[in-house]
Amino acid sequence: MNKVEFAQVDETLYHERLENGLEVYLLQKKGFSKTYATFTTKYGSIDNHFVPHGETEAVKVPDGIAHFLEHKMFEKEEGDIFQEFSKQGASANAFTSFTRTAYLFSATGQIEENVGTLLDFVQNPYFTEKTVDKEKGIIAQEITMYDDQPDWRLYFGMIENLYEEHPVKIDIAGTVDSIQDITAEHLYTCYETFYHPSNMMLFVVGAVEPEEMMDFIRTNQASKQFDPPAPIERKYPQEMKRAAIKERTLEMAVQKPKVFVGVKPERLDFQGKEMLKHELSAQLAFELLFGRTSDFYYEAYENDWIDESYSFDYSIEEGFGYALFGTDTTVPEVFAEQVEKVFDRTIEKWSFGQDALDRVRRKRIGFFLRAMNSPEYIANQFTRYAFNDMNLFDVVPVLEEIKMADLQQAFSLVSAKEQRSVFTIVSPEKAEQ
Amino acid sequence: MFQTRKLAAGVQLHVHQTAQFKTINLSIRFKGKLTEQKAAARSVLANILQHSNAKYPSQMAFRIALDDLYGTSMYIDSAKRGNGHVMNLHAETVNDQYLSEQGVLDQVFAIMQAALLEPNLEQGLFKETIFNREKNNVKQRLESLIDDKTRYAQHRMLELALPGHPASIPSNGTIEEVENLTNQLVMDEYRSMLEENEVEIYIVGDVDPEEMAAKVQQYFPFEGREIPGKMPALVLTKPAQSHVLETAEMKQGKLHMAFYTPVTFRDAQFPVMQVMNGVLGGYAHSKLFTNIREKESMAYYVSSSYASHFGLMFVLAGIDQEMEQKAVKLVLEQLDSVKAGDISDTEMMQTKALLINSLKESLDSARGQIELDDQYTEMAGGLEPERLIENWQNVTKEDVSEAAKLLSLEMTYFLSGKEGSDDE
Repeated sequence: MNKVEFAQVDETLYHERLENGLEVYLLQKKGFSKTYATFTTKYGSIDNHFVPHGETEAVKVPDGIAHFLEHKMFEKEEGDIFQEFSKQGASANAFTSFTRTAYLFSATGQIEENVGTLLDFVQNPYFTEKTVDKEKGIIAQEITMYDDQPDWRLYFGMIENLYEEHPVKIDIAGTVDSIQDITAEHLYTCYETFYHPSNMMLFVVGAVEPEEMMDFIRTNQASKQFDPPAPIERKYPQEMKRAAIKERTLEMAVQKPKVFVGVKPERLDFQGKEMLKHELSAQLAFELLFGRTSDFYYEAYENDWIDESYSFDYSIEEGFGYALFGTDTTVPEVFAEQVEKVFDRTIEKWSFGQDALDRVRRKRIGFFLRAMNSPEYIANQFTRYAFNDMNLFDVVPVLEEIKMADLQQAFSLVSAKEQRSVFTIVSPEKAEQ
Repeated sequence: MFQTRKLAAGVQLHVHQTAQFKTINLSIRFKGKLTEQKAAARSVLANILQHSNAKYPSQMAFRIALDDLYGTSMYIDSAKRGNGHVMNLHAETVNDQYLSEQGVLDQVFAIMQAALLEPNLEQGLFKETIFNREKNNVKQRLESLIDDKTRYAQHRMLELALPGHPASIPSNGTIEEVENLTNQLVMDEYRSMLEENEVEIYIVGDVDPEEMAAKVQQYFPFEGREIPGKMPALVLTKPAQSHVLETAEMKQGKLHMAFYTPVTFRDAQFPVMQVMNGVLGGYAHSKLFTNIREKESMAYYVSSSYASHFGLMFVLAGIDQEMEQKAVKLVLEQLDSVKAGDISDTEMMQTKALLINSLKESLDSARGQIELDDQYTEMAGGLEPERLIENWQNVTKEDVSEAAKLLSLEMTYFLSGKEGSDDE
């Protein structure tokens, strides 16, 4: 077991790569009574085209299958796994993103039992046609619920605008139609390909004794048989640089129109420390340009282009990413135009000094240290970073070494006009006017 | 957990000295009476105070000052508690020990003082432009509620079932009352909040309680105020209609049911109702989840929740538009089985384990510690986790089934899509 100390944030991380390939990380939080654990596979909604384990030809699977599989992991021949966690005083959950499927629990007692349950239920699939069909009604309701949420529609509307080919444009849960095609056999194919321990990570944070916990996990894993690790061949289509759709409007009942300006990054092949530096640099650049202390924000607020819903964000993964700037507004065209103006102006001239950089850097460091109080943040973010060869605990050192030139460089990759897009939601009555 | 001291009549400081967190959390809570008008005024007031102040007269200057303090987060939020309204100024700042800089906490006190006690005034009122814009912002926030169908349906049900009752007054006020606000009314509420409201100040972090008491008195020299007597118990009147169907442009149907119970937060039976709610629909092992979601595949979410300050229990489900009757029937069947005492040892054990877990988990965040302590102040004995756990452990199946028998279904509300709306 390796031990790494991060003196700056006063945390110690324990790590071991087990014989079956599983990456295990443990972080002891002093004074906490809660333990939070995530067991995550590097498999999400974008992995819909791949060569199944033990085969040679690539297959395409129905939209929404990673999320469907996540739901079905909880059902076993002897019943629902939520029941087991409840008995052990743990509250369990799971989520599927574009790139990951995570199973998790939080508990304040019986930690070994709960970690055991977590490992065992995810490593023992049980799918039948009957149980698969039964789940379709539940997931259809979940999809319908999201369909009624304008903010979710806005988000996916923008991703569809930016991407022409990449499966990131497909809703994580699929559609009510697409999930009808899912069979137990599909689920086994996906499971066997993506749930090998060598494609997974276990993170346990909170009231854990590292030595004992690692022993327990080692023993649990050694008692199970797995095939030798094999590389996974995933197929992603070639994606063009520019935004696929420049502008689009959806009609849906909303109190006030909603608008997103999105920007597709020019480079989507970052990994490791370079990726971390790029992502943080671009985030700092956008904070300077669009944050609450920016000229843009001041003007937008004074002129009522934005309201309390205004927000912006930038994140990248391998193969896709997006910067999003959005608000509810009565003047979506004006908002979009003004955001684009900031981009055009900044492409011509970068006008920030060192003190501005130092300020947004400090703000970001403060945010990071606050987040270190949250076991959930640590486990989920650590896993996301690690799957991209980054280290969460590099955030502060990298922030400290970022220079103004890094911000300019990052901005230049996420700003060109052809990479930008606008998506708007307006009420049907409003659209007719 | 908290060391409490009285700073003046009606003003208390609670400090929890702990190295558990890398930050220091500060919370100043003003407790007043809940009315639609006051809630509206306090909501706009919160926005005005968060915008700027005399020391940092623009939003930009104020935000720059906070960012410079390692992105100290500061916000004001509102909550209701029975017929009381709590306005909370909360700040979280990084503990100096993780920084190369010292004295950050003093600067945070100073900035909180500016936000709270040195508003941006002109001629004795709030700056008119800021007042108007923030009034409008709050109004628009309330108007946008309809875009969130679950919250909207819950709001509508309460509004129809208990008009004018604290249970149905939104903690941010109503659109109508926000529209009626004048700058003077908000100013009056601000004065009344500072001078007449009970004040509870909380600090959690690696701090010295003596030093904190001195700092609080230096930056917030609140004078004594009258402490109101115990608020009378709230009375739930019967809704005018027991079943309401409304439509909006949407696909899913939203079922919201309201049950009344005489058991509230203040009663000895309170822990029993918590267990009862957990067995029925509070968790993924509950009867509602197991039967309506897992067995019938009818819903993605279905759950019950207990609003203990009002003596209300709600059941919520997102279902197909055609399924209302079937869902209501199934919910009532589950409740009947609890009434009949059809409860397993496992269900009791699971529910208690999760209630205990959620209590302990809340205590692992500074914000959770503050919330719980503040809530339990009105309960005899205050916040004593061990006692709460023991109370749950003592609950029997018979207790749970008796508590279920006290529930009465008073309103069934269903929000669904408009028929034929596609053709319009």
